[in-house]
Amino acid sequence: MSRQTPADGVTATAEFVDRLRSIVGTEAVIHDPEQLVVYECDGYVVDKQVPDVVVFPNSTQHVVDIIRTCNAFDMPFVPRGAGTSLAGGCLPVGGGVMIAMTRMRKILEVNLRDRYAIVEPGLVNLHLTQHLAGTGFHYAPDPSSQGACTIGGNVATNSGGPHTLKYGVTVNHILGLQVVLPDATVVDLGGVSEDPTGYDLTGLFVGSEGTFGVCTRCIVRLTRDPEAYRTLLGVFESVADATQAISEIIGVGIVPAALEMMDSGIVEAVEAAFQFGFPLDAGAVLLIEVDGLEVAVDGDAERIITICEQFGAREVRRAESDQERKLLWKCRKQAFGAIGRLSPSYCTQDGVVPRTKLPEILESIAKSAERHDLRIVNVFHAGDGNIHPILLFDERDTEQVRRVLDASHEILSKCIELGGSVTGEHGIGVEKISFMNRLFDATDLEVMRTIRDTFNPDGRCSPDKVLPTAGACGMEEHIEQSHPKRHAAM
Amino acid sequence: MTDREQQANAEFQPSTQQELSRFVGDNARNARHGLLPVGGRTSLVQSRLAETGVKRIDLSQLNRIVDYPHRDMTITAEAGIRVHDLQSLLAKHKQQLPLDVPQSRRATLGGAVASNTYGPRCFGYGTLRDYVIGITAVDASGRLFHSGGRVVKNVAGYDLCKLMIGSRGSLAIISQVTLKLRPLPESIRILWTALPAFTDIDIVLECLTVSRTRPIALEVLNQVAAQQIAQETGTELSSNTPILAIGVEGSVQETEWQLATLRDEIGHFGPLSMKTVDPQQTAVVWNALTEFSTRCDAPLSFRIDLRPSQTMRLMEQADQHDIALIAHAGNGSIVGQLPEEGSAAEPYRSVMDSVRNQLNQSQGQLTILNCDRHWSDLQPVPGGSQAGWQLMNSLKRNLDPQSLLNPGSHIHTATPASVVRTPEAE
Repeated sequence: MSRQTPADGVTATAEFVDRLRSIVGTEAVIHDPEQLVVYECDGYVVDKQVPDVVVFPNSTQHVVDIIRTCNAFDMPFVPRGAGTSLAGGCLPVGGGVMIAMTRMRKILEVNLRDRYAIVEPGLVNLHLTQHLAGTGFHYAPDPSSQGACTIGGNVATNSGGPHTLKYGVTVNHILGLQVVLPDATVVDLGGVSEDPTGYDLTGLFVGSEGTFGVCTRCIVRLTRDPEAYRTLLGVFESVADATQAISEIIGVGIVPAALEMMDSGIVEAVEAAFQFGFPLDAGAVLLIEVDGLEVAVDGDAERIITICEQFGAREVRRAESDQERKLLWKCRKQAFGAIGRLSPSYCTQDGVVPRTKLPEILESIAKSAERHDLRIVNVFHAGDGNIHPILLFDERDTEQVRRVLDASHEILSKCIELGGSVTGEHGIGVEKISFMNRLFDATDLEVMRTIRDTFNPDGRCSPDKVLPTAGACGMEEHIEQSHPKRHAAM
Repeated sequence: MTDREQQANAEFQPSTQQELSRFVGDNARNARHGLLPVGGRTSLVQSRLAETGVKRIDLSQLNRIVDYPHRDMTITAEAGIRVHDLQSLLAKHKQQLPLDVPQSRRATLGGAVASNTYGPRCFGYGTLRDYVIGITAVDASGRLFHSGGRVVKNVAGYDLCKLMIGSRGSLAIISQVTLKLRPLPESIRILWTALPAFTDIDIVLECLTVSRTRPIALEVLNQVAAQQIAQETGTELSSNTPILAIGVEGSVQETEWQLATLRDEIGHFGPLSMKTVDPQQTAVVWNALTEFSTRCDAPLSFRIDLRPSQTMRLMEQADQHDIALIAHAGNGSIVGQLPEEGSAAEPYRSVMDSVRNQLNQSQGQLTILNCDRHWSDLQPVPGGSQAGWQLMNSLKRNLDPQSLLNPGSHIHTATPASVVRTPEAE
């Protein structure tokens, strides 16, 4: 049986750190405890673990040599992009080496005729689309954190974003990858042609959350810019009305490019931050975008407006200019950044339900909030059924933390009960390992372990992520979040 | 082969997924026969049927709809459902799986997934990789396992759906699939454009890279293939030059606008003719384009995969001696078929050697879809990296340590076994 938890008591010896310095240069190694604390967590602030050392490679060879060194010294390692993971995907459970990929951020090739680009994994998602501005193409996956998150991180978690409703998630836009496996072998998966022979290892690797190796190069699919957009803001008296409208829009066969909901709580925050003119007395607003041919978008927009009005929309506004459209999207995409106005800390969940179950899950979230005496606001990808309840709290208050974790657990359990999943785009990381036994049975997890162990037989690469440790009893007891290693043991 | 004959020849035909699981598990513990899952037998030629001691598992009785919440635009069905039956059900709710599957009245959903079948609309709609959101399968030891789920966004666990797509039953036997769906468009139209040469088509394809339109298909036919399509469909489509057939869909207004715009854009490049296929004939022509890849009577049929920008040059190179060629030009995929007299070595050997050399230099791939015994020694060009093939081998070994599942496919090796056609496959 492979070891999937790092050896207890491993520490980075001086010799080990010197070896790393000789690979990447002294300036690209962080070993000072005061600087290491910056890397103690990612966007999931509930769990923290300081790595022993952080290294910043700037080439595939660097990554190969780093991993070889880690193997020689029996040190676990975890790749990290921008650290925007909201599930603890970058958490260095048990310590070890954090391989920060942010120095590898070049755009190596853009080929519009063949519709691909080759980039390094540390490239910021938005920077690729900005680079393509004016060419008629863009990179479609657009997580809300795209101004900070990296392509490699997107690959690790199979990131989504608001436009996945029409354009799919990251895996639908990855043609090939270069990966350094946990044994330091470099392997090229996929390629620029559409249908490589053999197994789809590219598709398998995307979403493996750093447990199959370290991605050092990505071949991404480029997407044509739509000819035209129509961006609408539907204002509803209640969340229930808005979710009914969503269900009808999808049910009649309209595929908007994006369909996002914000409830009154989040509207309050974004209005204070951006002064768009959101109505503060509305129960919910829907941000709806259709795109496509100029000859078609007005018809689609009219149909959507009719449906919104049919389900009680107080008004439906149109963005009248590109500037207004961009501001609307800024309000949506930076909503999380505006939450600081509401509370010092927040925890975002990432459940998914069938679209027709949205009214039920939102009602359930409201009840959880009441039951646990918490404020929960909602901003989410309504068109996909991918909810993002944001639980507001102060992490300095351990009792609040406890209530947040209990409420989170309830919400995700409800998602499973409604036929959904516990993660639409953020990944399992460490946060949701306890749910894997509820989503999958023992056989499913055995098969996944077999596949993981094919890539990562010694268990040094991102240990204690995604899968519960073999032999875990799958109890539903709540995990003690202050001890990340225990996630895998439950 | 009729369903009745198929049933007579099938070694085992489970009626439930649990029954399948028990059979496979029992086989792994006892007889250890090689197992070959079969559905509609429409792409079986790509598996080596000459292996002895291989039991076929006919999945055609696993054909139930498990769940179809149509307002969620997802469907879960057992793998043995015929693709045509599935599409007919979806059409009642104005929905579709936007995939062109040849011989869809025979082909099964599981077979299409296992062979990663796609057709002309791959340009606009992608492939099964973009639509399979959940899968249930039985591995070599009989374990029934699941991956994904029934919601359109889901990143819980490893994405074994992707691993199963195109695996040809060599890692597990697919027993159930969940798909996300798309609305059925109001209108599909084809613009059939005759151009003097492949170099001219290449220029047009370059222009279409930034067309105001958004085609869903860019099919290029050489003269031989165009004549076949015209003959099969009984249409009077131009067929004495290379053809660019562009597919558009949407509302009637959208398709009419796109056709007019394409005529305007392509008109600058001196086409010999441009004809909008009559609406009543569109389905027939589309079907013929889809079915082209599964003609079984050619001495050799193959698929080339390379960069889209290199496709026309290779078409030109291979366009000799009545070889029929159709390219999904936007994706860089070419299907070719030798004529009946192609069983003779020359001049066809030289053409194929030249194609192989070109692909080796340009990192393309050559897959043998089907051949008679005269071509059984033709080596494919597998592409990929050595390390990648080793990884595939490791996965195969770990998931099927006794090599029981589709032992003839060798899909996980860089030199797949020859796919010699036998009468059973016809």
